[in-house]
Amino acid sequence: MREFLATFETFFNNGIFYYAMFVMGSYVVLTLLSAIEMNGYMKKNSYVNYREILVSPLAPSVSILAPAYNEEATIIENIRSLLSLHYGNYEVIIINDGSKDNTFQRMFDYYQLEKVDFAVNYQIQCNEIRGVYKSKLPSFSKLTVVDKVNGGKSDALNAGINVAGKDLILCIDVDCIVQEDALLKLAKPYLEEKYQVIATGGVVRIANSCKVEDGKLVEVNMPKNLWPRFQVLEYIRAFLMGRMAWSRLNGLLIISGAMGLFDKNIVIKVGGYDDSTVGEDMELVVRMRRYMYEQDRRFKVVYIPDPLCWTEAPGDLQILGRQRNRWTRGTIETLWMHKDLFFNPRYGILGMLSYPYWFFFEWLAPIIEFLGISIFILLALMGNINWEFSLILISMVYFFSLALSTIAILFEEMSYQQYTKGGDLVKLLLAAFLEPILYHPLTVYWSIKGNIHKFIGKNNWGAMTRKGFKEEKKTEEVPQQTTTI
Amino acid sequence: MSKILIAEDEVLMLKALEFKLKKDGYQVDVAADGRQAMEKVKSNTYDLILTDIMMPFVGGMEILSYIKNDPIKKSTPVLLISAVGLENVVLEGFHLGADDFIYKPFNLNELSVRIKRYIKQNVF
Amino acid sequence: MNFFQTIFNYIRETYTDRLFYFPSNIRISLLIILFCVIAVLELYLYISFRRAQQIKKKRDEAKWKEYIDNMLANLVIFDESDSTEEIVDHFYPKMSKLPLRNPIVNQVLTAEILTYHKNFTGKIQEVLSILYRRLNLDKQSKKKINNKNWEVKIEGIREANEMRIKEMAGEIIKYTDDENGLLRMEAQAAYIKLSEQYPFRFLDRAQERILDWHQVVLFEIITKNKQLVIPSFSHWLRSPNDTVVMLCLKLIDHFMQFDASQEVQRLLKHHNPKVVKKSVEIIGKLELADAEKHMFEVYFDQPEEIKLEILNSLGKISSGNYNEFLSSRIYSSDPKIKKEALYAIKRNPAYGEAKLREIYKQTTLENQALIKHVLDHRIKQ
Repeated sequence: MREFLATFETFFNNGIFYYAMFVMGSYVVLTLLSAIEMNGYMKKNSYVNYREILVSPLAPSVSILAPAYNEEATIIENIRSLLSLHYGNYEVIIINDGSKDNTFQRMFDYYQLEKVDFAVNYQIQCNEIRGVYKSKLPSFSKLTVVDKVNGGKSDALNAGINVAGKDLILCIDVDCIVQEDALLKLAKPYLEEKYQVIATGGVVRIANSCKVEDGKLVEVNMPKNLWPRFQVLEYIRAFLMGRMAWSRLNGLLIISGAMGLFDKNIVIKVGGYDDSTVGEDMELVVRMRRYMYEQDRRFKVVYIPDPLCWTEAPGDLQILGRQRNRWTRGTIETLWMHKDLFFNPRYGILGMLSYPYWFFFEWLAPIIEFLGISIFILLALMGNINWEFSLILISMVYFFSLALSTIAILFEEMSYQQYTKGGDLVKLLLAAFLEPILYHPLTVYWSIKGNIHKFIGKNNWGAMTRKGFKEEKKTEEVPQQTTTI
Repeated sequence: MSKILIAEDEVLMLKALEFKLKKDGYQVDVAADGRQAMEKVKSNTYDLILTDIMMPFVGGMEILSYIKNDPIKKSTPVLLISAVGLENVVLEGFHLGADDFIYKPFNLNELSVRIKRYIKQNVF
Repeated sequence: MNFFQTIFNYIRETYTDRLFYFPSNIRISLLIILFCVIAVLELYLYISFRRAQQIKKKRDEAKWKEYIDNMLANLVIFDESDSTEEIVDHFYPKMSKLPLRNPIVNQVLTAEILTYHKNFTGKIQEVLSILYRRLNLDKQSKKKINNKNWEVKIEGIREANEMRIKEMAGEIIKYTDDENGLLRMEAQAAYIKLSEQYPFRFLDRAQERILDWHQVVLFEIITKNKQLVIPSFSHWLRSPNDTVVMLCLKLIDHFMQFDASQEVQRLLKHHNPKVVKKSVEIIGKLELADAEKHMFEVYFDQPEEIKLEILNSLGKISSGNYNEFLSSRIYSSDPKIKKEALYAIKRNPAYGEAKLREIYKQTTLENQALIKHVLDHRIKQ
């Protein structure tokens, strides 16, 4: 028995070692790719004058779709800031998803709405639209309000798509702070890529502790609270490194639910958002990619690294945990719905690279990690552990993740430099030091919990109570890449 | 002496306009972005306001609509500086009560004549 | 103290004497740790160093900017009637004393002159153009154009463009078909402004695609530039480069060039659906009534998108010849086609709305809803 345990321990150590090597190797490759892509993007776009898109009659037209559920406190302000974006040809469609508070009444009064005879073409299935409203005031002519029966975020967006009259649709969370030039930057790829662009996604940044006036971001601050600060680091890593690399490979799977610009016709062709999953943002992109492969059409999903959208990150652990739990379930559901993509050469990069990556790194990695730790504890209890070797292995992983975070900070420093105050850099460094010890174990725990909920019964959680998206919606975004390691 | 507010986010332009109008004998107040301009507009009265349309945080249109909706300040002439020749922006501007549009590039001496005219009109 | 000593000793031994006795995976792990630690330290040193440098550069820049700003702002106090030569003579000695070899000063001065030149007209522009040459900044732009980095080339082209240095058109045309898209576009944009005789020559030789984005930029330049002599763009509608055709169509549309009508109608049979769609749109905009029958002929072979455009154009022309056809579209199974046809009927100022009300009386509930939608003026098409 003792002998067996000793052999097993060696085997176990080796297993961890090779697994770590594999994971770390992948991250090194992704980092290199993102560095190349980032460099190219920065170079290319320092010569661009976005004003030309702003004034041009040739720029693509955009419908902004913002679902609102119980947003009475901020809805007026939010709409106002959406109406003042810098762009020529766009409309704003607010979808009141059967709010139980005064959201609709507030809009109705403030914007002096009246019902119009809108004949909705139900190209995508959605719950009943009770009415379409426009403002009586000419200065709000860009605004349309859709009042519908409650059906959840995906359903609300689908209703919005049915009403949208422009070529592109921008799906956003109504409460996120959108930079004024966001539309210009997101629309530009539609004009310049050789292949058809089907979606562009923007970065989500964390607005905690930042100064906001009149719905506009005035001053960027490092979050005072520790948990959002970890998320700042996590988001920088995921957005500037992970997504940039996937964009380089043209294998990007996620466009943030908080902000994404889509080709309306393609979205309609694939049937819009799927309301049976909690990971609707990722699922839609996967389905659109699939569709393009099946049609044998060349295409691109583009990602814009500029900070375009700011949102309040969950500051307390309970809400954060629920959010991560939800992301995990969303990932599992999406992977399951498209399981035939797994190493399917018919689907190119999507089947051979993106899908397997998501499968192994986003879904499986936390589970493997959890199992590894459990076995380690078991072996330790049996007194069969080479403490020195184990410590060295653990240190390796720790220092590697520290180095990775530091490189991410360097990327941020060399590109957008949002955190310019004296102590910010030190704060970020400190967060990078503590993250693997304090924050990372929690993300693994939440992920395991999500798996358990998904596979053991509790999968109706959330949907059973009410189909709102208010509470969990905060940063509906999924910067999952590089959260694991 | 007539008092003019200039709001413009490009420092160089702001300085040039300030020099020119001071030389023309006006009392000149400057704002380097929309927020500053809004604060100044709220706490002072001016004989004329010259503002760029595109400024960070608060645009010229917002300043315009604030002034034209204020019962006392309403009569202050507002001239908008715009690089964009977009018809609907101009229309919206006139709709909100803009007194005139100045397109970049413009002739400073011509601007100075226009300003003189608006200020005279307002005195009588 | 002793504790740290112990740790230090342990680390030292691990990396020296003991290193070769570890199993290979542990040895590699140890090396990776070492590498990562050094990398993190270096990265932080680099970031701190970079910040320090940045702060210094910013300070320098701000200092020079303030100085040069004040110098240039004095330009505004001159009147249109003052002698250009005198003004130049007044400014030149001051500017030539600036340490232009210092890259920061050079960059700031160039940028400021360009900004002034871009925003003001009249005497100021004239004076700045002369000063730019006198300070030999034009030679510097030329050097940039011939640099081997495309970024620097673009900078030079932009300077030449803004300062209207016409003699550089010859240098620039060679980049108008460069394989680097950004450079190509900047060169085209500059060439239009700088070439005296034949600003659109680059269209003759364009092999590379003019991306939509470049079309936006070129369109802006061509349509906003009042000095430009606008040629008849139908000249390039037979270009083998579809993107050239598209750009010309957009310009024909903007300048309402009726002389292109025959060529545009010919394009209804073009192989590229984008070209067909744009041609249909122009036919509508220019109300080319004699093209109606051609559009009708091709209608049934087209994809939905172009069908919609044709209906729209028939509506704009509103000759009355295709009223029956438009009315019959409400039997289509596609709500979009129906809606578009209804809008087309409505466009007839004389009897459009009346016609819709007439149809309303004898059609299905679904169509009635559509007609109500179309008649509602608050909804924009």
